[in-house]
Amino acid sequence: MPDRLRITGAVRAYGPAAGVLGASLRVREGQIHALVGLNGAGKTTLMRAVLGMIRLDSGAVRIGGVPLDRMPASDWSRVGHLLDRPFAYPELSVRANLEVAARLRGIPAGRAADAVEGALAGLGIARYGRVRAARLSKGNRQRLGLAAALLGDASLLVLDEPTDALDPQGVIALREALRERASRGAGVLVSSHHLDEVARVADRISVMNRGLVIGTLDRDRADLERAFFDLVLEDDRRADRGDRP
Amino acid sequence: MNGLGDALWAEARKAAASRVLRTAAVLLVAGVAVLGAALTAAVGAGSEQIAAKLGPLADATGWALLLAVVTQIVAAGALLTFGITLSWSFGREFTDGTINGLFAIPTTRPALVTAKLLVHLAWTALVGLALTVLVAGVGLAIGLGGIDAASAAGLVRLFALTALSGLLATPAAWAATLGRGPMAGVATAVGLIVVAQTAALALPRQGAWLPLAAPAFWALDLNAVTPAQLGLVPLTAVAFGALTARAWNRLQLDR
Repeated sequence: MPDRLRITGAVRAYGPAAGVLGASLRVREGQIHALVGLNGAGKTTLMRAVLGMIRLDSGAVRIGGVPLDRMPASDWSRVGHLLDRPFAYPELSVRANLEVAARLRGIPAGRAADAVEGALAGLGIARYGRVRAARLSKGNRQRLGLAAALLGDASLLVLDEPTDALDPQGVIALREALRERASRGAGVLVSSHHLDEVARVADRISVMNRGLVIGTLDRDRADLERAFFDLVLEDDRRADRGDRP
Repeated sequence: MNGLGDALWAEARKAAASRVLRTAAVLLVAGVAVLGAALTAAVGAGSEQIAAKLGPLADATGWALLLAVVTQIVAAGALLTFGITLSWSFGREFTDGTINGLFAIPTTRPALVTAKLLVHLAWTALVGLALTVLVAGVGLAIGLGGIDAASAAGLVRLFALTALSGLLATPAAWAATLGRGPMAGVATAVGLIVVAQTAALALPRQGAWLPLAAPAFWALDLNAVTPAQLGLVPLTAVAFGALTARAWNRLQLDR
């Protein structure tokens, strides 16, 4: 079984020290893989490359074993994602937004209604179904974006800071949704600043710094924050000395 | 083009819920009808000031006057309105942050562009129909008498001018894409009007070869524009539609 996602030597540079500078990473079937790093480490840029939002200068991305540039459009129906701002048109109701997302994700009209109901219930926003997205709180708009990302039967989920603006109940709903997807074989790549949350949900934690994946964290280690900063500071020193790989 | 049917459904759903489109339609249709009726009635009542402003148009009377006035207003007003709404349709995906959700889906971006343009054209046709019906109603209401064959033909041309203005607004979609927001498209729409109006004034004979000006020439005088000149209008729309689809296909979210 090929990896759900495999990134090899990905480079997309914005100058000598910004962007993604040779990152490699794998997300296996049924794995929740967390990507942690400081602001500007390159996490979002890497995710954008995975989703075809930017083209790499060099390196490769494979989804389900297929190189991105050879992936037929229909294969994207197996990928759910949320990057930056939620996919929410302010003039549409929560339900209408999810219906639009379902159709664009290639879910047939006959199955879209069930998929939308499931997504509304899964993220706890069923009671806002008729409310326009413009009137939602930031947290509920984030729930709507997550519901859209989780529509259908994705085998790969790519979520950038998904707990942003979520209340504790939303965090738990998301955690359960991700575990449920992973238990059904989906691979999940999720970026986060919240090490505690990452430790609770992730099977593997990769640390990104200055455009590279520099190591992993043991989720069971007591002082995760210290381990994280040790890795980052050591990499910063190597970068300052000019002996990074 | 993968997912065109789904993209059409989604764009139609968004358009139906859009306050921007509703407001623009009401402003254009009601504005043109009220302004046309007021100017026609003023000339009919002997207002020399208004007659002077209308120039040679004021020599006409009845339905011919109303249609000439309304056509002049629509020639610029519809292009501006449709330029703004088309810029919004494309540019809002960037400013609302929904563009991310239009990547990594089975519906291709050229299909989304095609759907946006087709929904835009359907909407402009509906606006044209509403405008034509309202102008006919206004003409009857201000006592211009029954609609004869010539007036009916003028109303049909008014509808066609409105629909053709929708086609001519297509460069605004391309500009909104390149500018990553509605403002670049709006500025382009204003530029299109300036070019069209300047060409109409500066080159009254050759101006009809400019697709931007041809529909307005044709709506005022059937014989002023050849079918070939009018045919350049849809070709222009197709060309800018293709440029927009290409821009979306090559789009990178790196700025």
